[in-house]
Amino acid sequence: MTETTANLADDKADGKQRPRLPLSVLPIIEIAMLALLMLYPIFITYLTAEGEALDFNNYFVVRVTSIILLAMLAVSFDLCWGYSGIMSFGQALFFGIGGYFVAKLSEETGMTSMLIIIPAGMLVGLISALLVGWFLLISKRTPTIIFVALGSLTASFAAERLVAGWQWVGAGNGMSIWDFPTLFGTDLEPGIGFYYLAVACLLIAYLASRYLVRSQFGLALAGIRQNEDRLAFLGYRLQAFKLIVFSFAGLIAGWGGAIYAFHEGFVGPATVGVTTSTYAVLYGLFGGVGTLIGPVIGAGVIEGLTVILSDNETLKAYWPIALGAVMLVVVAYQPTGLVGLLVTQRERFGSFGIRKGKKSSGTDDAGKADGHD
Amino acid sequence: MDVAIKLIFDVLAFSSIMVLVVLGLAVIASMMGIFNLGHGEFVLLGAYTVYIFRELGLPEWAGMLAAPFLVAIAGLVIEIVFIRRLYASPVIAMLATFAIGLIIRELIRVLIGGQYYAIDEPVPGSVSLLGVDVSAWRAIIIFLTGVLMVACFIFLTRTSFGLQIRGALENPGLARASGVSTTRLYAFTFAFGAALAGLAGALMVPLFSLSADLGVRFLVQAFLSVMLGGVGTFEGPILGSAVIGAMVPGFQWLREIPLFGIMVGDLIQPIVAEVLVFIVALIIVKFRPDGFITKGRI
Amino acid sequence: MANKHANGGGGITRRSLLRGAGALTAAGWVAGFSGGWILRPRGAFAAAPIKFGVATDITGAIAPSGNSNWQVIQLAVKKINDAGGIGGRPIELYLEDTASDPKVAVGNVLKLIQQHKVDVVVGGITSAMREAIKNPIVRRGKTLYLYPQLYEGQECTEHLYCTGPTPAQQCDELIPYLMNTHGKKRFAMPSANYRWPQLLNKYARALIEKNGGEVVFEEYYPLDQLEYSATVAKIKSEGVDCVFNTIIPPGLQAFTKQLYESGFQKDGGAHTCVYFDENSVNYVPERELEGVYTCLDYFHTVDDPVGAQLQKEYAEMFPGTKYLFTAGSAATGAYRAVKFYEAAVKKTGGDLSREAVSAAIDDVAITDVPGGDSRMVPGTGHCALNMYVAQAKGGSYEILSSANMVPPQECG
Repeated sequence: MTETTANLADDKADGKQRPRLPLSVLPIIEIAMLALLMLYPIFITYLTAEGEALDFNNYFVVRVTSIILLAMLAVSFDLCWGYSGIMSFGQALFFGIGGYFVAKLSEETGMTSMLIIIPAGMLVGLISALLVGWFLLISKRTPTIIFVALGSLTASFAAERLVAGWQWVGAGNGMSIWDFPTLFGTDLEPGIGFYYLAVACLLIAYLASRYLVRSQFGLALAGIRQNEDRLAFLGYRLQAFKLIVFSFAGLIAGWGGAIYAFHEGFVGPATVGVTTSTYAVLYGLFGGVGTLIGPVIGAGVIEGLTVILSDNETLKAYWPIALGAVMLVVVAYQPTGLVGLLVTQRERFGSFGIRKGKKSSGTDDAGKADGHD
Repeated sequence: MDVAIKLIFDVLAFSSIMVLVVLGLAVIASMMGIFNLGHGEFVLLGAYTVYIFRELGLPEWAGMLAAPFLVAIAGLVIEIVFIRRLYASPVIAMLATFAIGLIIRELIRVLIGGQYYAIDEPVPGSVSLLGVDVSAWRAIIIFLTGVLMVACFIFLTRTSFGLQIRGALENPGLARASGVSTTRLYAFTFAFGAALAGLAGALMVPLFSLSADLGVRFLVQAFLSVMLGGVGTFEGPILGSAVIGAMVPGFQWLREIPLFGIMVGDLIQPIVAEVLVFIVALIIVKFRPDGFITKGRI
Repeated sequence: MANKHANGGGGITRRSLLRGAGALTAAGWVAGFSGGWILRPRGAFAAAPIKFGVATDITGAIAPSGNSNWQVIQLAVKKINDAGGIGGRPIELYLEDTASDPKVAVGNVLKLIQQHKVDVVVGGITSAMREAIKNPIVRRGKTLYLYPQLYEGQECTEHLYCTGPTPAQQCDELIPYLMNTHGKKRFAMPSANYRWPQLLNKYARALIEKNGGEVVFEEYYPLDQLEYSATVAKIKSEGVDCVFNTIIPPGLQAFTKQLYESGFQKDGGAHTCVYFDENSVNYVPERELEGVYTCLDYFHTVDDPVGAQLQKEYAEMFPGTKYLFTAGSAATGAYRAVKFYEAAVKKTGGDLSREAVSAAIDDVAITDVPGGDSRMVPGTGHCALNMYVAQAKGGSYEILSSANMVPPQECG
């Protein structure tokens, strides 16, 4: 309230024309992305029809479905890093566990119903994140960022080694999921139906996360981000908060991973390992952590470019190097990522890791002033 | 008795390699507060140097000799161009090192084509140690590491530069206040850490085959060693590496002993023994977050 | 089959690939609009082309085998097109790189199926790759799939045909030979921890015990395990006289080195590994390979005029290539796959629908392939092959014994 009134007073005082309320760019970006996702299959089908009959289950729709599921992984990473300061280098662990769990379940019981796959993925993602989070985040003294970062990396690495050596889950071969998932009795083949299901899941996960970080709970998270010690003195149980967010992120990752396994028809050690975890970090940093939509865009851009470039033999080889270079540039010069180019500081709901010295202005609702920092 | 000798030898050999890898990492971490997430890639660069030398027709030992110097230069360049400006925010620096490691890793993957390459050791065959046949090359690694450790110790305790390093290690602020040029010091330390890692990579590539993902596995083990050993001292990382170095081959050997009449090996597959190292190490770190030898800060 | 890696004695895969890309364009390959490579047949053909998909590892760890598969398939298709195609229809080749990475492969294979709508796919080398891509090809893509590599058996998926040796074919000759001719009785099975060694070992064990031998130990290691001193020590202390090795790179180099250094072969121990072929000298030093026993469907030293002629033509088409036309790399299986498909389409009279071709290929015989004639065993999806037991001697393989038309004994 104070801030807004002050603005209005300023306007009157110096008579300059200034917008009364700052334009919120973030929701515009979100809505634009949603529209893009909803219209894409129709658009691309017409574009690539090449005179033949319209096939909505075409290659481009299927590829983008995979990317949407990976975007869920990106969102889960952002919840950890962008909003709670938990540098999780091992987020793929939960993504992959979700996949492995439903793959094994399907192999043992023959179940294929989406109505089981989704809750199963969520559940196993939640529980594993709870366990790992309890180990990494809860202790007498606050664990350092480095411990959490490398601890999660180790967890993802160890998991990759473990499943690669465990015959029960296919060892190095991974597990092939033969059947299509079913929804209310009908097979759901990869295609436009599956696409919209993925969009729906991403949307729900996104909205849930958005709600979480803009709630009272989210305010506490913002406090943790700004100044942990201060919040601790105020009596907040920091570690419990972090664990809750971490578990929720794990839930989303497991959810995405379970659907992903059934979409690809395959889950292997790579799904749970360090490379995928690294990509989660890349999606987040590139797109812009602390905005939720940033990592979604980051996933879309990075994976999309990977698909496009995979056709050119030369470029394909250099693409991962380029990704590393991009990450370096982003980290050093544009820590707010792609979205940061458009969204002002005051709109961001997370800015952990911004270089000290840069002003981090009020990060909560455009009404409550933050006097310090 | 034979088994015990073989076991101790294996442990010593692996620990030696770990010490070389970890020392640089730990010193950088304690002095500058930055955990170099690309450190594994310095190891990779050292191994790659040997490979390049071999491709050029030069003998492997020449590559091993050149590796620490070349990797030191690489480390120096990285420090000056990227890391130096990020000391104020360690978290950003960490992410930057992660990105740099990624670039190096993928660059090498392009250059060597994603396969595994076998490199011959300069000294093949075995020697007889107390009646047991052990690999000659591993014996040389243990010997070289020992010599290097002694040299480092002398350097740190007898030279003035070494004194500056130890001071900056224990208390960087005070060191700076006392007029020690931390810029030069940091640059040197970073390059030195890289050199050691490069040497480790060069020395052990005959044992481990060259591949682009060599760095990742060493990063995890190095991290555990540093956490176990504690940061801020010279002896801490050595102890940590010794522990990890003992566990990795040790757990594999553990599978060979009978326990209460049951072969441990029947219960524990090699893969479990490997993952067990991580779990045990993480548990120890959790209960002793400062590591075994605690003098400095992280 | 197992993973196969080779270092090619210094060749750098990507560079040679880029060089090769130039050669490809010169040879008529065209980069597809959104994927892979397409080789359109030369000359004028009356009928519409047959679309032949190849999904193999052009880059990555398995690249040496993948590239040799790819080149061999080109040779096979060129010969067919030069002779007028199949029933007047030329073959059009579509290539997608599975990059030795199952996760990437799934997406790329999708291109073959959904975009190019190929009529058949040959590919996959490692079992992991086969497991990953068989679903998009056979189930989701509803396309015929031919798998060319030696492997662990028990792949009974419909419309999936295997043209490489099975455990039965490899072991039925090799194990009795080792036991009866060389008196080996105490076997050790150090293995890579995944499906192929596990199933292969099971079969081998049964055979060993049937012949009165004993498996002293059977252990599984992670693929990149490099510490084998405990294993080698056990081999020596337990008096093992034959090592049935199913470790694959990168652990392979470490294991063979440590085995050799322990003096096992010097003391008369036999080392056998069923995927070793002429390529193996490229990734294991020759001294460690010396004397190793193997059993495959083809060696360069087999007295086989068809094979010899093909080697010549292969050398002409790809001069100086380091990707050899060998059996362990699935190249012979790939060649056979093309010939089986040709024979099947001839039988269906040009009907390319999966059901028709699958029914035809199920019971068809081929000649004019390296190693000798081969025929599919109806109802099983596998083929009978001539098998040769050989021993490495100075970089090439000396044939010790052979058997004709060994049955695959799978899915029966």
